[in-house]
Amino acid sequence: MDPFLLEALLNGVLLGGVFALPALGLNLVFGVVDVVWLCYAELVMIGMYAVWFLYTQAGWPLALACAACLPLVAGLGLALHWLVVRPLLNAPPINQVLATGGVLFVLQGAATLVFKTDFRSLGVDMPPMELGDVFISGTKLIAFCAALVGAACLWAFLKFTYVGTAIRAIARDREVMPLMGVDPRRIYLIASGVGGTLAGLAACLLVVQLDVHPFVGLSFGPITFMICVMGGLGNMLGGFIAAFLMGLIISVGGFVGSTEMSYVIAFGFFILVMFIRPQGLFAR
Amino acid sequence: MTGVLTTRRGLMQAGAGVALAATVPATARSQSGPLRVGVMTDLSGPFAGAGSQPLFWGAEVAIELFNQRGGAGGRQVQIVSADSQSRAEVAINEAERLLGQEQLEVVTGIYSSAHAVPLSGRFQQQKKLMWITSAIATAVLKDKNLSYVFRPTVHSDQYAEGSVSFIHEHAKARLGTDPDKVRLAVIYEDGPYGTGVAAGIEAEARKRNMPVVMKEAYSATAPDLSTLVTKLRRERADVIMHAGYNPDITLFLRQAKSGGLRFKMLIGHGAGYSQIDKLSETFGADVNNICNVDPAATQMLDQSRLGAGVADLAAAFLQRYQARHQSNDPPTHASMGFNNTWIFLEHVLKPAVAKTGGMTADALREAALQVDVPVGGTIQGYGVKFARPGTPMSGQNERSIAVVMQFDNGKSKVVWPTAIGVPPVLPLPAGHTYAAR
Repeated sequence: MDPFLLEALLNGVLLGGVFALPALGLNLVFGVVDVVWLCYAELVMIGMYAVWFLYTQAGWPLALACAACLPLVAGLGLALHWLVVRPLLNAPPINQVLATGGVLFVLQGAATLVFKTDFRSLGVDMPPMELGDVFISGTKLIAFCAALVGAACLWAFLKFTYVGTAIRAIARDREVMPLMGVDPRRIYLIASGVGGTLAGLAACLLVVQLDVHPFVGLSFGPITFMICVMGGLGNMLGGFIAAFLMGLIISVGGFVGSTEMSYVIAFGFFILVMFIRPQGLFAR
Repeated sequence: MTGVLTTRRGLMQAGAGVALAATVPATARSQSGPLRVGVMTDLSGPFAGAGSQPLFWGAEVAIELFNQRGGAGGRQVQIVSADSQSRAEVAINEAERLLGQEQLEVVTGIYSSAHAVPLSGRFQQQKKLMWITSAIATAVLKDKNLSYVFRPTVHSDQYAEGSVSFIHEHAKARLGTDPDKVRLAVIYEDGPYGTGVAAGIEAEARKRNMPVVMKEAYSATAPDLSTLVTKLRRERADVIMHAGYNPDITLFLRQAKSGGLRFKMLIGHGAGYSQIDKLSETFGADVNNICNVDPAATQMLDQSRLGAGVADLAAAFLQRYQARHQSNDPPTHASMGFNNTWIFLEHVLKPAVAKTGGMTADALREAALQVDVPVGGTIQGYGVKFARPGTPMSGQNERSIAVVMQFDNGKSKVVWPTAIGVPPVLPLPAGHTYAAR
């Protein structure tokens, strides 16, 4: 096999891992609360700034900075739900979308005010893995493994805990569960916190790969939404698989065609899926 | 004040005032009071960190210094600033505001070619002056015969001429191979800026019989460029020519390193590559010896070879800029912002006000067409003379000069044109992170 094609395939898988985590978080929140957090990528951006600040400015060890980022962004997720989403739970969907879209601009503006428009970098570097002619980025590989561990933890939480079971139940039938004694408001809050934690984890993985700036969400936000819709909004497994599918299309498409063309192929595939299965590839 | 405005009578008075102001003709207002000049740059969004912010700061210093030196005919210049937010549609809306609501006769600035292309047509249509201080795509002016759009800075074909000539001149002596054996690769962001530079490089390389083994575009907001890196490795490019903004440049450099990409030289073409402070902060010694094409920042030039009074002007600019904005090596965009705004203020606005007593777009346009500054007459070393209407590059400064510079421990030094540059380090020295092995 052409080693460069093999490298492109591996890159696609690793890229899928990067997309998978925010897609999981977004899908979890939508599946449970039934509200799309348009500002999800901006929560990730705030988390990236937190890691950058604690590591480069406050001098914390990177692991500690990342550990602190998780509760911080989880807290942001909780605040977002409590202050913005909760009052609009019974409002028309367009109001909810506009409200979380408004938060997107508030967070971008706040980051611009506090951190200016400069591009910030952790300056963390890891040597690549060399397998003959194939190079694998060390940073990406670690990020990929961490994303898999994060996804496995989420799966275990949803599968084996009482709260996780309640979350899955609410996601399946929002009307019946309150009749069974589950307090949906509490579950919404918990799901928002978990969604925020996943955004925090995504921030830790992205901050070693991308520069942080107030508009960094533009790099991966739109594609994360596309992945969620393609996998079936609210369907976590679907989103997870769609992330890898998208990573592979972009990477191999870019190798066979051109980098620019790869996104055209990815978006074309997305449109095709929307025509054939508007509910998403893996929607039940 | 709030109380007055919230009463019915207060509102009516305020409304009447606004209505009265709107009836005063623009020409009458242009005869007295401050001279209002629009400065449109990207103060937010990705372009801000890729040079647009220092572009604005440079313009700000120019206007401040101009005012302190007496302004134009004793009248002070007032900035009316607009943030185009790194988005073309915002730039268009802001231009409408500046020309409509603010009734400006001239707007300077414009960082991105993606904004300059749609804006130039609107300015031409409305017969208002657009004074481009940064956007470089040749396509902004070429064959458009625009008569209200002026660009004192270089255009993308000149960037291509700089980088290709530089490699062509040094191929045999420093790369140990004939120029027609040097494998060039061109990667570029897919907007008018990158596309313009890439087309220019391809044409220049063809002219010199140099092979372009790969030419590929990407979106500046792409989250991943590792496949591009893989393909560059496969093509075994000797020299990579790159036209990018930011953060795509830092993403590329990072992924090139982790993807094992090696080359003999990387040449950037302005924009993000001109932010030497930022690149050095992020990559340290990894960006040493990498080259960049742009008009020279003033501190790179031999000040003794500039025209009378120009070195003093450059010193005044640098002193004010560095006092206000901490910078090891002020980016090229700061010099561009200052210089190209200064050219407008000193050589266009001042004569127009002296001649007509006001600053209508037509008076400014007439004055712009009369500008004749010899080489060495501006702080970036070039002269100024605009191509006349009816010529293919109408509005372009025919005396603008791009140089090739090389990074050296956080500073940039000119290495081309050979006549004014120091000898380059070429190829990248052994032991360099990206050096071919």
